[in-house]
Amino acid sequence: MTKRAWPWIALGVLVVVVLAVVVWPHGDPTPAERAHSIAAGLKCQECQGLSVADSGATTSRAIRADIARRIAAGQGDAEIRQHYVDQYGETILLDPQGSGISLLVWVLPVVVIVTGAAGIVFVLARNRREPRLHPTDADEALVERERAHEPEREDLA
Amino acid sequence: MRHPARWISLAVAGVVIVLGVVLALNVGTDPLAASKSSRLLGKTAPKIDLVDFAGNPVTSESLAGKTVVINFWNEWCDPCLQELPALRSFWQSHANDGDVAMVGVAHDPNMSQAGLAKYAQQAGLDWTLAKDPGNKAALDFAIRGQPETFVIAPTGEIVGYQYGAATVRGLESMLATARGG
Repeated sequence: MTKRAWPWIALGVLVVVVLAVVVWPHGDPTPAERAHSIAAGLKCQECQGLSVADSGATTSRAIRADIARRIAAGQGDAEIRQHYVDQYGETILLDPQGSGISLLVWVLPVVVIVTGAAGIVFVLARNRREPRLHPTDADEALVERERAHEPEREDLA
Repeated sequence: MRHPARWISLAVAGVVIVLGVVLALNVGTDPLAASKSSRLLGKTAPKIDLVDFAGNPVTSESLAGKTVVINFWNEWCDPCLQELPALRSFWQSHANDGDVAMVGVAHDPNMSQAGLAKYAQQAGLDWTLAKDPGNKAALDFAIRGQPETFVIAPTGEIVGYQYGAATVRGLESMLATARGG
């Protein structure tokens, strides 16, 4: 293994560790955490740019209390979210759903990143195979001259 | 792959074209339209289970067979004050119609019933008024704020919805629809 590989290995290890820390389950959330998480994903109906979790508006307070009641009644997170989508429509969700036109929001960034990454890989591979700068005759002559003087410099050193 | 730059350009052009088509399809549409309509329109009204300021039950059963105008309001809400003349005028025209009921639902739990009743008397709100404990009615009707007005036909179907301040003309139009006009 060459020395050049070590930075890439270190980067790979770092990425794996970060992903593991982020994705690793942290135990079951409490009902309050679940309620906050659901409320944080719903849009306040009376205000601009706030979630139900962050809003003090009357309907947001009512929705927060309703979410807590539904959790206590044994409903699942997805079931509770779906209830609000059924009542208010998808516009109540702060994160667009992965279907219909909303799917573009999720797909386009991935397409752009994959295309960009593929482009970089292709360009790097091509440059490695066929260097864009080819030495001219003058360059070759210069290198030859320098090589011819190398023994003399070593003697001086 | 030959000519990768060409392929990348094509991919970028594809993304731009898709975005352009999406934008073109959405030109002229009101992004807030969905938030000004109710998904309950055309559906059976949620069950009503309230108690008016005088302590009488106001339920789906007690309102059965009537056209019900149900108005969600709060004392502190400016658009609610703006629509009061329209509500008063509409109710003056229909208070004696046996087939019409109008219910004002004050859904802010922080407002006291005594305070609301006093305000209603001073403001001349002489239709049925009720509080909404736990905001159950507000949540069942999926209201987004206040004021909001629903008109329920005698069949139990929601045939009219007004987001924001109601007008006499709008209320009359919804009543006519409920009556099958």
